[in-house]
Amino acid sequence: MSSRSRFLASALLVGLCLAPLAAAEDPEPPRRNYFVYVCAESDDTVHLLRYGPSGFEELDEITVGSFPTETEGPHGINISPDGRHWFLSIAHGMPFGAVHKYATGTNEWIGDATLGMFPATMDVSPSTGLLYVVNFNLHGDHVPSTISVVETGTMIEVATIDTGVMPHGARMNAKGDRLYSVNMMDDELVEVDAMRFEIARRLYLGTDPHAGHAGMDHGDMGGMRAPVVKPTWATKPSPAGKVYVAGNGDSAIYEVDLEGWEVSRRFDAGPGENPYNLEITSDGGVLVATYKSGKKVGFWDLASGELIAAPETTRRVPHGVVVSDDDRYAIVTLEGVGGEPGTVEVYDVATAQRVSEIDVGKQAGGIIYWKGEP
Amino acid sequence: MVKMIRSSAGRRSDRLVFFGALACAGILLAGSAAAQDPAELVVDPPELTLEVGTTAQLTATVRDAAGNELERGVVFFSRARRYVGVNPAGMVEAHRPGEHTLIAMVPADPGAMDRRAEPALMVEIPVTVPWPPLASVQVAALPGNLYAGTSLRVTATATDTSGAERKPDFAWSSSDSDVATVSPHGVLMLHGEGSATISASAESASGDVAVRVSANPAVRLEVSAAEEEVRTGDVVWFEARALDAAGNEVPDFPIQYAVSTRTPDTLVAPGAAAFVEPDGAFVAERPGLHTVVASGGSLTARETIRAVGRNLKKDWEIVGRGPVRDRHTSDLWVWEGLDGRDYAITGTWGADGHAYFWDVTDPSSIHLVDTVRVDARTVNDVKVSPDGKFAVISREGASNRRNGLVVLDVANPTDGVKILARYDDQMTGGVHNTFVAENHILALSAGRRYDILNAEDPENPYRVGRFELDTPGHGIHDVWVQDGVAWSSNWMDGVVAVDIGGGGKGGAPNNPVMMGSFKYPNGWNHAGFPYRSQSTGKMLVFAGDENFPWGFDPEGKLPDRAAGWVHIAEWDEDGGIGREVARYQVPEAGTHNLWIEDDIMYVGYYNGGLRVVDVSGELRGDLYQQGREISFFEPADPDGFKPNAPFVWGPQPFKGTIFFTDFNSGLWAVRLVDPETPRNMGEPN
Repeated sequence: MSSRSRFLASALLVGLCLAPLAAAEDPEPPRRNYFVYVCAESDDTVHLLRYGPSGFEELDEITVGSFPTETEGPHGINISPDGRHWFLSIAHGMPFGAVHKYATGTNEWIGDATLGMFPATMDVSPSTGLLYVVNFNLHGDHVPSTISVVETGTMIEVATIDTGVMPHGARMNAKGDRLYSVNMMDDELVEVDAMRFEIARRLYLGTDPHAGHAGMDHGDMGGMRAPVVKPTWATKPSPAGKVYVAGNGDSAIYEVDLEGWEVSRRFDAGPGENPYNLEITSDGGVLVATYKSGKKVGFWDLASGELIAAPETTRRVPHGVVVSDDDRYAIVTLEGVGGEPGTVEVYDVATAQRVSEIDVGKQAGGIIYWKGEP
Repeated sequence: MVKMIRSSAGRRSDRLVFFGALACAGILLAGSAAAQDPAELVVDPPELTLEVGTTAQLTATVRDAAGNELERGVVFFSRARRYVGVNPAGMVEAHRPGEHTLIAMVPADPGAMDRRAEPALMVEIPVTVPWPPLASVQVAALPGNLYAGTSLRVTATATDTSGAERKPDFAWSSSDSDVATVSPHGVLMLHGEGSATISASAESASGDVAVRVSANPAVRLEVSAAEEEVRTGDVVWFEARALDAAGNEVPDFPIQYAVSTRTPDTLVAPGAAAFVEPDGAFVAERPGLHTVVASGGSLTARETIRAVGRNLKKDWEIVGRGPVRDRHTSDLWVWEGLDGRDYAITGTWGADGHAYFWDVTDPSSIHLVDTVRVDARTVNDVKVSPDGKFAVISREGASNRRNGLVVLDVANPTDGVKILARYDDQMTGGVHNTFVAENHILALSAGRRYDILNAEDPENPYRVGRFELDTPGHGIHDVWVQDGVAWSSNWMDGVVAVDIGGGGKGGAPNNPVMMGSFKYPNGWNHAGFPYRSQSTGKMLVFAGDENFPWGFDPEGKLPDRAAGWVHIAEWDEDGGIGREVARYQVPEAGTHNLWIEDDIMYVGYYNGGLRVVDVSGELRGDLYQQGREISFFEPADPDGFKPNAPFVWGPQPFKGTIFFTDFNSGLWAVRLVDPETPRNMGEPN
């Protein structure tokens, strides 16, 4: 456990003792400004938000999509490594979804590319600029889907990688040559060779002793094995070479050791919590998880593997989470239900205390951290 | 010093390589490790020309600034992978003709510079895949009889060695210019008696057709019309024929039609007041005297008829309202309940999952009898079974993303509407529209297909079939069933007819069989309404557009504006194809849902309000211009969700009252009434 992680974990415990979890005011307001983009999936809008010394505020609301009277579902969002562009997946199309490119700050639309069914989570390789988007195919039959590779300069889909059933979550390693994603209905974590556009390794997370063989025929297996883990997210690798996977189906979080390519630890989130999205601090000391069914945000000390706190959210259906570049804040989206607005909450990572929140469009989901500024 | 490095791949890569070199040069200045940084990427061969189906190997060499070869991975990909592919080892395969580009790139070291988004080096490799040569040219057959002094169009098609049909520019020639010549635009001019060969050529292929030109026996033309006086908008066929000196008709004599018009002196600068189509179909858009001129060779004939105004304008009476002002309203359905009372159901859009049930027995006293709320943001569509026992409402934006549809017991809405079933199996992407046909529910799924559910037991619906197109980029927006045929609206694929039990093609709910389609160029097909004309017996397809070229801001303060029109096609019941013959287009507004009954079309025309149009008789041209519009009504509500912003969603005539929903103000009931005095519109009808 690094000294930084120990500090964060200790501070978090102290903070829990000192402050009530329901507080929504930052006892020590930030001196920097933190910027995030948030998707409102049922309003076809993206919101640029700033949390800083002047509070939590919306800087811009960007209407997205092509068919104004239909809900097209902006789902996944990410930022180019140089911070100049943001990319947005639109789930519904004819019948395929798309990824759109915008300029950060001005939020000017630049281009788009048609992808597969229900494109969702994505990440950009910092070494090539190529964008990898999982085609979740959430609403179709349980058939193997793909990961699209997009050249972001031209917004051309240059490759598709066969992966598995309902791929979701996509995060690159720091070098930009490996992408980690999960196949929700195959109970799999996959490692993508981002340079050769192919699956390098598969790790079966379920309990069926006869399943999980690399290279299996998903089309044949689909009807034979009911998913248990239903993984929905894979984090970027930690400095220690671990990837964390959200087991939405069995309400657990899996730690996968990349060197051994095996599950090294399993954290039980408790019944009915159903972790959905995850994020880790830059040193890999703290993991923050949204509990989609549990209406909570879980803060885990990864050194000890202990849950430190799981504060309840202000609105139902927690979805996405990002951590600021200085590891100070975790910023979480809450979808809400029906006509409720979506909400974005800010938590102090050190204390697991909610320090601010703001309402945005309906069904706030995808979120990406853009930048921090003095 | 920055060294400019020229890629061997050619001109287009210069800039990218330069930036890569710049980045590397920056690193060179920064430290000694720069000697190992990639500075040049050379791909051999630098460009390719490949025939379809052939392959070639690319090799890539990476060097540092000192020219030393480096062991660095190179990423290959194609910007047109369906036309030319490349695998990770650099093996290229040509699939389709064209000018394409492959990319080779050397990944950057992400640790070398904070937050980069470019590779270290990138090279473009141009690939030319030539079109296969043309194999043949076919000149279309000409009429059996050709006459000196006449002219007609001639066309040709070309096929390449892959079997693909191509459309090159043809060079036309004639073996005997005294007999016939062809203009560059394909007009065949017949000059004198004799034989000639007409040829069309492109590349090294050519085709020809033999012509035998006879002396022109025609000495006069006759033209006649079935009517002497018509109303604007009526279709009148003019029939012309050429006669020889003995009074016999000359077969295959080419005749063209034109029209000249004279409108009343009080109608100044009317624009085009009438038109005549190549088949002799004439329609007047303005009153006046209209003369149709038939011509062939040097002969002409003319016939004049009078057109009078259609004079069917009606006014409106607002009968009642069921206002919904705190949220947007979507579709409606009106029906007679099992208790003998009349009810309407309306949906809501972008809100909280509500559907409202209204008693409309007395349209002047519409009142809410029940409200159902489901887990959804939008209840876009509402339908009621033909027997009035159950309703189906669609769900989009469910919090658990399972969407689907909800079946409701509407046997007695006054005593309460109960949920009978929720169905979301493989419909979790959202149901935008539904239809209930006898004991089956058709439900769109994720804008991709429709599923057909057996609802004999409405508490336990189950899937029996589904229909999805396989065209590239297909989508679906709506479906309507009439006499066992499902007519879906499919954007670029137009209206698609599918036999689900009544189409005579062996279809059934569990075996939908596509019968044909009617597609049109703008690709905006949003709603379709099949209708057999009561006055002509013809099967027609009315296809409405939806588009928002000026954008759409449902939560904004300003009125929205749509675009598009109703396309009207005659449906070939044997061939399964629609031929567009007419349109109804209101300028600066756009269509949404429509309904046709008793040869009258009711259109929810968004910002154009509710429109009522006479669609009786034969239909040609633009019905709006012809005075076929009976009336229009723009529902303005100062307290609406958007004040005074008409945005009509959909109409339904029912028992003499026209019910319709407005996006910003809810349910309306209106009736057409005779105007006490004609409205002065500034010029005579």
